[in-house]
Amino acid sequence: MSRRGLLFPLLGFLFLSLGCAAAPPKKDYTAFRAANPRSILVVPVVNNTTNVEAPGLFLSTLPIPVAERGFYVFPVNMVKRVLEDEGLSDPNLVHTADTGRLCNLFGADSVLYVSIEAWTAQYMVFSTQVTVEFDYVMKDGKTGDTIWKEHKRVVYAPQQQSGGGSPLASLVAAAVQAAVTKATPNYMPLARQANAEVINTPGVGLPAGPRSKEYGKAPGSGK
Amino acid sequence: MSLLRVLLPLILAASCAAGCAPRTAYLWGDYDSVLYSHYANPQDSERYLERLGQIVQKAEVEKDRMPPGLYAEYGYALFEAGRPDEAITYYKKEREEWEESQVFMDKMIRNTQRLKENRPGPAPGGNLPPPAGGTTGAAPAGEAK
Repeated sequence: MSRRGLLFPLLGFLFLSLGCAAAPPKKDYTAFRAANPRSILVVPVVNNTTNVEAPGLFLSTLPIPVAERGFYVFPVNMVKRVLEDEGLSDPNLVHTADTGRLCNLFGADSVLYVSIEAWTAQYMVFSTQVTVEFDYVMKDGKTGDTIWKEHKRVVYAPQQQSGGGSPLASLVAAAVQAAVTKATPNYMPLARQANAEVINTPGVGLPAGPRSKEYGKAPGSGK
Repeated sequence: MSLLRVLLPLILAASCAAGCAPRTAYLWGDYDSVLYSHYANPQDSERYLERLGQIVQKAEVEKDRMPPGLYAEYGYALFEAGRPDEAITYYKKEREEWEESQVFMDKMIRNTQRLKENRPGPAPGGNLPPPAGGTTGAAPAGEAK
């Protein structure tokens, strides 16, 4: 068997790993396009788990991917503190407050509400299985209507991934594994990855905002 | 030679996984980690202010890659550290850089000025009532604008 016989399967793996994420059904972006928000108020995260660190950590990872998509994102910590001064220190209160009034307070076009539904590390003999689960809802400040939403569940069981798959996926899995198998798991890479997938996946992610080069192109055309 | 052929795709894949995060539009530095450390250790506000300041400084080198919200975030940290004049300076920078922030920044500048003219008090919210009048006699000139 020649060396060439080795080369092609490897290249094949590489291409697969880069481009074969299963295409999810595309979303209807009519309401989003009609609202056409330029700015997004990212409000404190509602925590439906028992992990006390989860909301702070997750809020910290939201501004970067959302702003990189082409929107003005209000300074999240400053917004959090101002809301607290307004008597809204409980994120549940913020999430149930009137979206229009919230937008008026800050001069925002839209609000991004995120809630954490699961955030657990299950320790096993050889590895740690980590599950994180989030709900993302974006509402228009003028109408209060939902203009985008997504649900994300990420499960990492690094042991199961070491058997096969592409070199690229294995490397990513290894990096995540290194992060989560310590005594106190570092969830930062998981939160970043969940956000990146939710926001950037063509056809279901957040459409590009006015400050992005992709703004106005058909969603998913980059695929 | 043929060994290289086998290795090259692997090397490419490895280097890509390690470091090919696409160039970001803005220079974020370690903004997310800085925020998270602040939530994990809220009492360490000096370090938070310092690290935010470092990100601002680095981003200012490439002006068009200043992240949205960063000037304001730093300004608010300055305000919390008892430095309202500098806070206002950075709120103004945010407003100048990002027109989307104008409503919010106008409000924060007004409230910070108002608090400064009285005395250090609670952090300025969006709808604070006007300061209790009459304590200093005539309204200060700055208030009338």
